[in-house]
Amino acid sequence: MTKLIIRRLFWTIPVILLVVFVTFMMMRQIAGNPFRTSERVIPEAIQRNLEQKYGLDKPWYIQYATYVKNVATFDLGPSLVLRNRTVNDIVKTHFPVSMELGLYAMLFAILFGVPLGILSALRANSWFDYAAMTFSNIGYAVPSFLVATLLIYYFALQWGGTFNFPTSGWNTWESKVLPTVALGLGPMAYFARLVRGTMLETLQQEYVRTASAKGIRWHRVVVVHVLRNSLIPAVTAAAPLLGFIITGSFVIEQIFAIPGIGRYYVTAVNARDYSVVMGLTVLLSVLIVIANMVVDILYGVLDPRTRDART
Amino acid sequence: MRIKTLWLLLAMLVASLALVAAGCGGDDGGDAAGTGTEQEEQEGGGDLAAEQVITVNWGTEPPSLDPGLATDTTSSNILTNIMDPLIKLDDELNPVPYLAESIEASEDGLTYTIVLREGGKWTNGDPVTAGDFEYAWKRTISPELAADYAYQLYGIKGAQEYNGCEENCDALRDEVGVRAVDDRTLEVTLTSPQPWFPQQLAHHSFLAVHQETVEQHGENWTEAANIVTNGPFRLETWEHNSRIDIVKWDEWRDADSVTLTRVNGRMISDATTSVQAFEAGEVDVTSGLPPEEIPRLKETDGYQQYPGLGTYYYGVNVNTVTDVNQRRAMALAIPRQSIIDNIAQADQLPATGFTPDGIPGFDTINPESPYLPPEGDMDRAKELMEQVESPKTDINLVINDSPGHREIAVAVQAAWSELGLNVNIRQQEWAQFLEAVSPAGNNVDVYRLGWIGDYVDAYNFLELWTCESGNNGSNYCNEEYDELLRRVTSGELESDEDRYEVYGQAEDIILGEDGDMPILPIYWYTYVYLEDPSIQDTFNINTLSQIDLTKVQVRETD
Amino acid sequence: MTSNPREEELRVEGQADEERRFDRATATAQPVRQTNLWKDAYFRYIRNKGAVVAAVVFLLFVLYAALWPIVSPYDPYKVDFAEANMRPTLEHPLGTDRFGRDLLTRTALGARVSISIALMATLAILVIGVVYGAISGFVGGHLDNAMMRLLDALYGLPYLPFAIIMIAIFGGASFWTMVIALSVVSWFTEARIMRGQVITLKENDYVRAARAVGARWHRILARHLVPNTLGVLIIAIFLSIPSIVLAEAFLSFIGLGISPPNASLGSLAQDGRAVYRVHPYQIIIPSVAIATLVLCANFIADGLRDALDPRTRET
Repeated sequence: MTKLIIRRLFWTIPVILLVVFVTFMMMRQIAGNPFRTSERVIPEAIQRNLEQKYGLDKPWYIQYATYVKNVATFDLGPSLVLRNRTVNDIVKTHFPVSMELGLYAMLFAILFGVPLGILSALRANSWFDYAAMTFSNIGYAVPSFLVATLLIYYFALQWGGTFNFPTSGWNTWESKVLPTVALGLGPMAYFARLVRGTMLETLQQEYVRTASAKGIRWHRVVVVHVLRNSLIPAVTAAAPLLGFIITGSFVIEQIFAIPGIGRYYVTAVNARDYSVVMGLTVLLSVLIVIANMVVDILYGVLDPRTRDART
Repeated sequence: MRIKTLWLLLAMLVASLALVAAGCGGDDGGDAAGTGTEQEEQEGGGDLAAEQVITVNWGTEPPSLDPGLATDTTSSNILTNIMDPLIKLDDELNPVPYLAESIEASEDGLTYTIVLREGGKWTNGDPVTAGDFEYAWKRTISPELAADYAYQLYGIKGAQEYNGCEENCDALRDEVGVRAVDDRTLEVTLTSPQPWFPQQLAHHSFLAVHQETVEQHGENWTEAANIVTNGPFRLETWEHNSRIDIVKWDEWRDADSVTLTRVNGRMISDATTSVQAFEAGEVDVTSGLPPEEIPRLKETDGYQQYPGLGTYYYGVNVNTVTDVNQRRAMALAIPRQSIIDNIAQADQLPATGFTPDGIPGFDTINPESPYLPPEGDMDRAKELMEQVESPKTDINLVINDSPGHREIAVAVQAAWSELGLNVNIRQQEWAQFLEAVSPAGNNVDVYRLGWIGDYVDAYNFLELWTCESGNNGSNYCNEEYDELLRRVTSGELESDEDRYEVYGQAEDIILGEDGDMPILPIYWYTYVYLEDPSIQDTFNINTLSQIDLTKVQVRETD
Repeated sequence: MTSNPREEELRVEGQADEERRFDRATATAQPVRQTNLWKDAYFRYIRNKGAVVAAVVFLLFVLYAALWPIVSPYDPYKVDFAEANMRPTLEHPLGTDRFGRDLLTRTALGARVSISIALMATLAILVIGVVYGAISGFVGGHLDNAMMRLLDALYGLPYLPFAIIMIAIFGGASFWTMVIALSVVSWFTEARIMRGQVITLKENDYVRAARAVGARWHRILARHLVPNTLGVLIIAIFLSIPSIVLAEAFLSFIGLGISPPNASLGSLAQDGRAVYRVHPYQIIIPSVAIATLVLCANFIADGLRDALDPRTRET
């Protein structure tokens, strides 16, 4: 087990290098001047000064090498556009916010989605099942920016008196509710449907019927056998969902004015803030790689069939 | 999984229909439960409210609160309220001495002597001296700082040379025409007579900074914990991308005249959300309203509109659209008023020239161009179009990807298609767009831009179209035009009226009866805000988009 | 088994042979009338009413998107402010937008673009993924190892950020830039699937047997690889359509959407969002369209999976 973890950790290094390289090359391909913010043309002298200051006048391979060296020492460089801040600053202040949002959304999705799926499967074909599945389908298919807008409209504006949710921001616990729901609704629906499906499948397996026939109490059957096997696919689904949450957060953060890195990312690409873009991309990659690794490990733990199999 | 899924789909369909029905039925009660919009505005002022605190939505995070590095309006507005500028502009945009007690120009207009008032202080107790200004201005044009707005100070002798120097810079630094004669006197030498110089001093690039603080904290000197300011408000909290709060500084030299005790700042960039925040009563002021919402918002109490000093125009690449009659036809075809009424929707003014209404001397300067009728003149446009021998029929219209511009481009495209032009709208995002249009390459025929005045003189607008100007996207070059503008800075013109005359002639060259039409102005800007009725009387934005928080007072409302 | 294996098509065990099925009623093994895989799948699919409804709706939707703009009496590009922002009526069943353009037509256009992008991107994903996975699985050995390691590394690329950067490189979004941006970083799973299939096939007993008897590779590919993988790949197509449609909607929201006057469902929703307070139908309609596409594709994929999956033949 530890060998597996160490091996996976080892492999993250080339991944990150690859990501840095690809991002670096791609950013260089984009035409556009990071120092020109308004319609006013920048006089040549100023342009030269700026390029010198940020080392942009050196040949690309030197820039790349410098950058890799800096990344190794965890120095992600200064922001080209936000002149008084470094990327490390930005990450330290804003990344935790995005993580918090993502975490809450994931928790919301799991805490509501999984039980919903289980109950639906247990009460298959009842009105509860129909209602739950309808709700899940809508939650899954409707784009989250519409969900967010509607949530704000109804809960923050129309029914503001009863609910006291603010329209935006991320400070009080009330302000965190609507964004969490908006971001977590899709994954919640996904989990509900997935768990319902796998449970239904498992419930029809021979060994469940055998256990039931043997006289074991139903809910023990469910808990001990059915749940464990049904939840495994849910675990494997968690990793790609993380990607979904990261991308969804770009939009949610913008709508709810949440100071996370999602907002920064889009503005940074548009403004050609090379260092911010690269820094954030590397960070996101690390996150995804770690998430994949965790899922793989969890899968190994949960599913006894894979314990002995070699990859 | 069979009939059930059928029911599922049906249920889903019903649900979405219900949503539609709810949507269609439900929005007559469009006003939300906000405290601001439901209250009547108090007639004739009224008493001051007990709590003098407001919340402003600045829209974006200020990229920098360093006067040397700030370039955008948010930073500028916060800076001019936490710092003490030498000059402020009154309602007619005339310069009023502020921290400066007096400003005197020499006979030849090349040297200005600025005397500071007594009592200017920094928040750490140090007095404000002329030396602070000399340090700040030289810092802004220093090559090491690499300030984007260094060019604002290029009117000062030696500034451009120092800014562009590569070696031996200290010597050039001493040559710059800014000198602190003593603690209260600043002497500035210009490159040429510039009558608008006193007004320029109201711009945030001319603010002083506290030398010790800058040197001690380096890049972090603007953080709330470190920053040292000298203005009516001071920076209390700055949580990046989240909030920025400023509070009244009781030791400012004229603190008694300031009523507000606190201004909380939010940074909600999404236009729809910002309107929702206003209507929920969470912010008292916001701008950047989505144009489509304006008709609805006009009916509410919070809507306020201000004239702006800026022009929205389409530039034409004279290298590719070579026939002047085609350019004139294209100008005539644009239905300006219709665009304003249906798309921009904020009562902008249809442009009849380039320099906007509100610039001093407007009546003399404005050419009332025959090619810019507010309603558009499609018949005349078609006539002119027929005179064009080999018209350029495939037009690449390049815009940047903000929503308002898209819609206007579509309307213009529809109009030009009646002239037989095949318009291809190319939308690019900002940075790339700027590269593409400065100047316009051969694959760009028409581009969209706006120009907002840096200072209050037509020169700021007209110098764009000189041969040398880096902002001349149309590749336009006319010696006569350049000559006219050269006369303005040569010092040979005696009075303001003379200057306005010359400006009028320049406008005629580009937009008059025989105008070359390198640009097709569309409208002059207005600024549209939502303001809580309790501050509407006193909260104002001047045409340069500046906000003076010292004048704002919160009134009692029911 | 026939006497001349080189000339006859090999009938391999488990595929075209008689299958026996345990019939609970009589507790005996009854022979199943065997049809070929596709006809079988088709019948099983038909029995799943939900999937059928989804398929029908999907088909209707695609037809609407493809044909309506051709027959519609309205010009979707004509600007007429007098007709702007009208609620749905008989004349304009879905209302008009702020330029006075009929929304029934505009939505069809938008759907065309969204569906085309989704299909083209999916195609690109399949081509890249299939080729990559097939080569890796087929060749095996060190190359396979290396390619899989590379794939693991590529998995670490965050999807949306890269799409954003790619669109920025191309200088703005257009049909093809979006197709490329959305497909370039999303083909990894398909590659894995393909490789898995190829490896399973290679090591399969009956394929080995066939090779031993001398059947040529392309016959084996045609008879075994294609039918098995095709099913999985078709399911993959229908599963990726929703995610691409939603990704395109997201990109439009951030401002990297299709240029006007063309529209995609995402850009229509974005335009509608600005006026949702006064003209809610302008955002509801494109959102319902997106939701319909997403749901139908999902149901079809589920139905196909049930139809083609041998394990569930028990039920």
